[in-house]
Amino acid sequence: MNLKSAILSAAVGVFIAAVPVVAHHSFAAEFDVAKPITLKGKFVKMDWVNPHSQIHIDVTDADGKVVTWSCEALPPNSLYRQGWRKDSLKPGDEIEIEGFQAKDGTTNMWTRSVKTADGRRMFAGNADALPPTAPAAPKDESK
Amino acid sequence: MQSMLAGLAVLALALGSAQLAQGQNSTARAAYKVPRTPDGLPDLQGIWQVRNTTAAFDVQDHAGALGIPPGRSIIVQPPDGKIPYKPEALAKRQDNFKNRDAADSLNKCYMPGVPRITYMDFPFQIFETPKYTLIAYEYIHNYRTIFTNGTKHLDGLDWWNGDSRGHWDGDSLVVDVTDFNDQTWFDASGDYHSDKLHVVERYTRTGPDTLQYEASIEDPEVYTGPWKISIPLYRHTEPNFRVLEYECQAYADEAAKGGGR
Repeated sequence: MNLKSAILSAAVGVFIAAVPVVAHHSFAAEFDVAKPITLKGKFVKMDWVNPHSQIHIDVTDADGKVVTWSCEALPPNSLYRQGWRKDSLKPGDEIEIEGFQAKDGTTNMWTRSVKTADGRRMFAGNADALPPTAPAAPKDESK
Repeated sequence: MQSMLAGLAVLALALGSAQLAQGQNSTARAAYKVPRTPDGLPDLQGIWQVRNTTAAFDVQDHAGALGIPPGRSIIVQPPDGKIPYKPEALAKRQDNFKNRDAADSLNKCYMPGVPRITYMDFPFQIFETPKYTLIAYEYIHNYRTIFTNGTKHLDGLDWWNGDSRGHWDGDSLVVDVTDFNDQTWFDASGDYHSDKLHVVERYTRTGPDTLQYEASIEDPEVYTGPWKISIPLYRHTEPNFRVLEYECQAYADEAAKGGGR
């Protein structure tokens, strides 16, 4: 094996080993409990995929620039058992997502709850995943 | 003129053999009394598999192509044996065909969907209870629980193999399947559907070792009307036969590395 192919094999090996870690991880590995965040914006779409669903939301910043955030949520079956449905959020809905930002400062966050356009608050994260220092979740004011 | 005559002759032959096949089927069906399970249900239990192994490559009439053996259509409605695609959908199907290696979600080891899983060349086992029938497929640990207890479909989420609710109609198990995602195909040739797909399956035992599988398919986003497939399944009679484990990803990884095939 020459050096080039050795490096390539090593790189492939690292990549394969890293995939499950990136895809399915603990809260602490990727998100920062010291960075609570609340986003307001337009719901774009939802990826109902394992091991984590992803909510995509367009957020307009102070300069009027639109940035699409990717908000990690529970896997599809967990959301479904909590009462979420395919049409719970519709494209263009003005929603509010509350949770914790990614450690690396990217436009990714861990979703604890979503406040819908009609004021309902739907929980989308497993509270057990949070460290005890996490601030409490907001209440559902619609009830 | 000569070619027209030849065409007519072929048509006559085709019609004749179709009628003959139909006649044989109905005579055999009339003579065969479907056994009952201890619960009194028509007994479809056993391990079944297709012998027509080209349908999973292409459900329509097709010549051989790279990775696709030739075969005849399993579509019995409409009579021309073709999927009644809307014009724009047919164009997408042709694109799918061209890009089939990358675009077929089966090649990424995703679940095959219904009805494709039925005529893939892998065995599956049917178990019946009064409340549900369970089908355990060898292919990547798929199973379907077909509830026959009068419950309604789960609505509001999509699944690879859909949501199945069945009832017994005479000797047949009739299964209504909805809640599909739009990621699966009917075969390896790009024949596709949207998430509005609705499938009604009918399983009818036609002899001790044969089961006729029919599936009526509709999807107003993709087809101009309903279409239907029909394909026989055969029972495994080897005394030591059983459904084994077939994992996909490990073999796909091997193939990607140039081995495993």
